[in-house]
Amino acid sequence: MTEDAGSESVVDLLINGVQVRAEPHMTIVEAAWAGGVPRVTGVGCLEGVCGSCRILLRRGPAVSVALACETFAEHGIEVLFLPAPAAARHQYELTDFKDGWDIQARFQEIFPEAARCRHCHGCVQSCPKGIAVEEGIALAAAGRFREAGEAFFECVMCELCDSACPEQIAPAHVGLFSRRITAFFHLRPPNLIHRLEELRQEPFSASDKKETP
Amino acid sequence: MESLNANLLHPRQRVGENIQRWREADGGEALRLAAQDPAAVLTAVQDADLRGLGGSGFPVWRKWQAVANEAPRPDKYLVCNGNEDEPGTFKDRLLLEETPHQVIEGALLAALATGINRVVFYVNPDLTRSLAALQAALAQWQGSDMLQQAGDVLGRPITMALVPGSGHYIGGEETAALEWIEGKFPFPRGKPPYPAQFGIYGCPTLINNIETLANIPAIVRRGADWFRNLGLGQATGSKLYSLSGDVLHPGVYELPMGTTLHDLVFTHGGGLLSGKPLKAVFTGGPSNTLLAPEDLDVGLDFDSLRERGASLGTGAMIVVSEGTGIVRQVAEYMRFFAHSSCGQCVSCKTGTATLSRLIDRIDTGRGTAADLATIENLCRMLPGSGRCHLVNGVAQLVESSFRHFRHEYQQALK
Amino acid sequence: MKRGLSLQDALAAYRPDAELAPPPKQIDPDALLNAYHPDHLRDGMATLAVGPNAGAQCPRELADLLQAEAYIDEVDLAGAEVTDTDVLVIGGGGAGCAAALAAAEHGAHVLLATKLRLGDSNTVMAEGGLQAAIEPDDSVQQHLQDTLRAGHHAGDPALVAALVGDGPEVIRWLIRQGMQFDQTASGDLHTRRAGGISAPRIVHCRDYTGLEMMRVLREAVIQHRGIEVWSQAPAVELLSNESGRKCVGAVLGSLDGQKLRIVRARSVILATGGIGRLHLHGFPTSNHLGATGDGLVLAYRIGARLCELDSFQYHPTGLVNPPYLSGKLVTEGIRAAGALLLNAEGRRFIDELQPRDVVSAAIIRECREGRGIHPDTGGVGVWLDTARLERSQPGLIEQQFPKLLARSRIAGIDPRRNPVLVYPTLHYQNGGAVIDANGATTVAGLYAAGEVAGGIHGRNRIMGNALLEIISFGRRAGFAAALAGHDRGPKKITLEHVNQARRALTLAGMPLTRHAPQMLPAYTAPGKEIWKA
Repeated sequence: MTEDAGSESVVDLLINGVQVRAEPHMTIVEAAWAGGVPRVTGVGCLEGVCGSCRILLRRGPAVSVALACETFAEHGIEVLFLPAPAAARHQYELTDFKDGWDIQARFQEIFPEAARCRHCHGCVQSCPKGIAVEEGIALAAAGRFREAGEAFFECVMCELCDSACPEQIAPAHVGLFSRRITAFFHLRPPNLIHRLEELRQEPFSASDKKETP
Repeated sequence: MESLNANLLHPRQRVGENIQRWREADGGEALRLAAQDPAAVLTAVQDADLRGLGGSGFPVWRKWQAVANEAPRPDKYLVCNGNEDEPGTFKDRLLLEETPHQVIEGALLAALATGINRVVFYVNPDLTRSLAALQAALAQWQGSDMLQQAGDVLGRPITMALVPGSGHYIGGEETAALEWIEGKFPFPRGKPPYPAQFGIYGCPTLINNIETLANIPAIVRRGADWFRNLGLGQATGSKLYSLSGDVLHPGVYELPMGTTLHDLVFTHGGGLLSGKPLKAVFTGGPSNTLLAPEDLDVGLDFDSLRERGASLGTGAMIVVSEGTGIVRQVAEYMRFFAHSSCGQCVSCKTGTATLSRLIDRIDTGRGTAADLATIENLCRMLPGSGRCHLVNGVAQLVESSFRHFRHEYQQALK
Repeated sequence: MKRGLSLQDALAAYRPDAELAPPPKQIDPDALLNAYHPDHLRDGMATLAVGPNAGAQCPRELADLLQAEAYIDEVDLAGAEVTDTDVLVIGGGGAGCAAALAAAEHGAHVLLATKLRLGDSNTVMAEGGLQAAIEPDDSVQQHLQDTLRAGHHAGDPALVAALVGDGPEVIRWLIRQGMQFDQTASGDLHTRRAGGISAPRIVHCRDYTGLEMMRVLREAVIQHRGIEVWSQAPAVELLSNESGRKCVGAVLGSLDGQKLRIVRARSVILATGGIGRLHLHGFPTSNHLGATGDGLVLAYRIGARLCELDSFQYHPTGLVNPPYLSGKLVTEGIRAAGALLLNAEGRRFIDELQPRDVVSAAIIRECREGRGIHPDTGGVGVWLDTARLERSQPGLIEQQFPKLLARSRIAGIDPRRNPVLVYPTLHYQNGGAVIDANGATTVAGLYAAGEVAGGIHGRNRIMGNALLEIISFGRRAGFAAALAGHDRGPKKITLEHVNQARRALTLAGMPLTRHAPQMLPAYTAPGKEIWKA
């Protein structure tokens, strides 16, 4: 807070151009409601996992991006709810992959931009979950999809990194692809497979097994 | 029309790489004068009130003075910025193609005035003809007596190199150029430190625009008073205006600094296509404010335009008639700038990307009133938040278009 | 409510290493429920006066919406853009996406309309996991019995059989969509216990199971060439044929200023989720912003029968502070891992792995009888002893419960050092639209899947059956909808069912001042309308 901040129990801020008076423990979402800011529909889970409440935030001369439900009201800041992310541009279906040996080659066809990271760190700066996005992309570009996917474990697909990437890599989607391809090709749990086989041989039927309450 | 193409673009000067004809047009004379009195070069430039013609309008002598005051560490650099990538600006490429020696002589004069021993010509890689002409011209200077003598005056050899740019628009930003020349991606640096104190490889570095440098030989040869008299009113010198858009004769026009917009468009540019009325002019290139029909009387110089709330910039004047939609134009420029944002400042990248999307939505009939409000909020929030001026220029462009043409945006809403 | 300890005093008195006696045996769970569970709060209930469930009890907030006026008249549809599709899915959470993918797999053209953004749902917030009987000493039959028992035998055995039988195949399907699950060192899927479950059966992805599932399903839907998605497009009303008894499409509104649009479909699938944002009995909720029971309202108005309208699940462990996290979920999985519940006296008071309704009722009892803990910021709760758990298994919370840790860090709380304050939170709608094993409601052309559908969980759902249900029944509804036959002759689209509902309301003397579906809750300063476009 600045020297001329509001009193301890009240802060004044601007949300979508509307002057709002709020309390310091409120999140931006709560402050927006308290201030009657119209048309804030980019709000979902209110606990930081749906990635919908993307905001641009100005604090002094510095402008950053964040999630509104995890950001607290501060005196003198200015907040803008960003429009929903643009449509995904990279097309693929998992069933197009015939063989686990050709993942890296196909990845380069689907996400050609991932090899052209210019290390501007924009993605890292914009991620509200502290994910090492740039490293994750490097892993994927190197064909290390399991590790890349693990790097993106906490990703809520807010796609703020996508907006921040000048090479149009769509990092969030690269991360998600990495996770999906790992499950698709490598997840073969014996306990599940065993039960599936049992059921295939003897399908479940509950009709003659009535439960006695 | 003696005022047209009277100085840099005088037919006598437009000899391409032909060094013989350049000499016949008094080429090399300024260097000989400077050899006798190198300090006089800076004085002349100061008296002439030459301004940075790459867009800043900053007094050239002050930039020179800052570098002159620095000791070599162990070198000092001059970057001749020919990255010209601004939409609607096409004057530097013409100078390089048609009078490369005039530019080279200007660069060496700047080097002598400021104690610089390493000269780098930094040119947009897509300007193939300009590159070829400059390359051929430079080859004639390598190992020449002129270059040798310049080195003697300086007290150490002067090297000249040609570095094609990266092709990225952002590479035209001064400190981004330094990064590229050092072999890295052209990300603008945070300032301070400024290039004069810490430039290429930490050496004091001067960056000047091609047109700025091209003016030096004539100033030294013919004097500051002559240069001052070329301009109209308080403005000095001549200016290469890049005229484009809905005019009959687009092109580069060298005219007295301070020529009115009316004269440029109607007297020289042949007026508007199909006689349509003037609607607006993107002054200084699109990352600046618009002028409206009531501004036709403004003198196109740095100070007069600043008083009008606009900016001369590179001297590009993109003319829009009533037959052209402002929203479409702004959408096109926004797409260019959003693409050009280098990415290191999230505010700029995300801000320009969002502005571009929203304006595009409005332009294609999918925009809402909420989008208009978001655009206005962004224009207010973004300026000053980036390391360079790209984000500021974008906000200025959009905000200016709203100020004059809000009704067009409104009409396009669904 | 008798006042217990303040938060500061309770923290001061807390000892992570204190000896703990086991909880008193719960002799009569039904008496506990009757006395304390919110479902039994008679004065919060109303009796429905109109519709297929006339005479049934349901919470007042829900009754007001079920018996409210529609937003539109036929005249409002003049000039509306019309889109034809095979299957219209209303709702973009787990069930909606599963239904859309299944329908598209069968070659149907699918339009998925969601009122917020694709993936905005309760699914994305789910933490604990899905049930699937895959361990050697477990069986699908046991899964069936656990489900029926926990639901107090009010569930439809045929539906439950369908659900549990689908379990293992659902997991495989999810893996083939690209979803990861936690594994043991041997590569098996890691399974956990939970309240009311007879064997370890919950498969999960740390405590982010819902996020992992939703981001995978959302991507699969976006990538699928046969599915079109409309966002910011809430369903304002269903459309019926001229008799008002068959659903033939829907009217979609807009949260970004567009005009009303009509969608004509062969089949409509409601996958609209829950009702948490109605804050029944004034409870906080774990639900996302859009959980306003829209699908229930639309289904009821077109004549679909509902069930278990008086039964809602209050998850025992909703966060209490800070206020912005009030009602947000802490997964049952942490109790399965060994976390205990302590009252203000520092004592256990219930077996933590009893079914949720019992545990919730016990917590409410403790707080009401003066053994609760009161933070300054309001509310009341008991301890979920995460600190003791961390002491006994260092590193467990960071490894297994990253979502809890991430949210706590932002709130300035460390659950590894201090216990966390919890109180029951309105979490799940046990009942809903009556369906068959194909997800068909009692109205032709209309299907329902996920939380909006009823008949599976009886009067209490066990952990892991909701995430299973959305995929199992989402797919069943999707297949059935895709295979539904075409009508013969030209299709008439009307609001006849609205007229019929209006008639019934008027004849019953109901006011016509309230409009539904609600679409979004109104949490604003008084006098400020924020949801207008």
